[in-house]
Amino acid sequence: MAKQGFITAKRRYMRALWPLVIVYLVAVFSGSWMLRQYDDPPVGLAITAALAAALPLAIFMAVVLRYFTETDEYTRLRQLIAFARGAAFTVSAIFIFGFLQLFDVIGDIEVFWFGPLFLMSWGLSYCFGNLLGKTV
Amino acid sequence: MENRLRELRAARGLSQAAMAEQLGVSRQSINAIETGKYDPSLPLAFAIARLFGQKIEDVFLDEDGQAQAAE
Repeated sequence: MAKQGFITAKRRYMRALWPLVIVYLVAVFSGSWMLRQYDDPPVGLAITAALAAALPLAIFMAVVLRYFTETDEYTRLRQLIAFARGAAFTVSAIFIFGFLQLFDVIGDIEVFWFGPLFLMSWGLSYCFGNLLGKTV
Repeated sequence: MENRLRELRAARGLSQAAMAEQLGVSRQSINAIETGKYDPSLPLAFAIARLFGQKIEDVFLDEDGQAQAAE
């Protein structure tokens, strides 16, 4: 069993999540607002805005991994299975769209969208597992 | 793996949530173990047996549904 109980792990997860959501929203909106003030935004400002928006997401992934470690074994197993399904789906999509792009079937795709695709497929996989009552 | 969790829990008037809290796991974990959807690890199985004051083999049964200790 994990040293931390399920409730403690969930509390620590939620306590870290909300500040990250707020920082992320502030960084995205303020960054895009600042960049819109320029016809040709300075590279330094664009890099800073991009990193400021991406950093909370990177920290969020670390928080998720900590939650996986601290929560109870059953929740961890279900979450890891959903996480793996989401990752498998996203990597498959990357290969499919990557080859379509390499063979000039489709145009450029913004890499950014694979992040939300992963989060969405991970979440859906976890929710559908719950709805079907199927676990492990 | 079959188990006597539901029976032992009911005998003590414990809800799944109360039992989960005592073990530091989610209520869904208890439900999944009771319904045979999930087999707990040895440490959790021992903790469950300890909670009911039973031997582990008296709580978790082999595939034939017989307590292994009785054999």
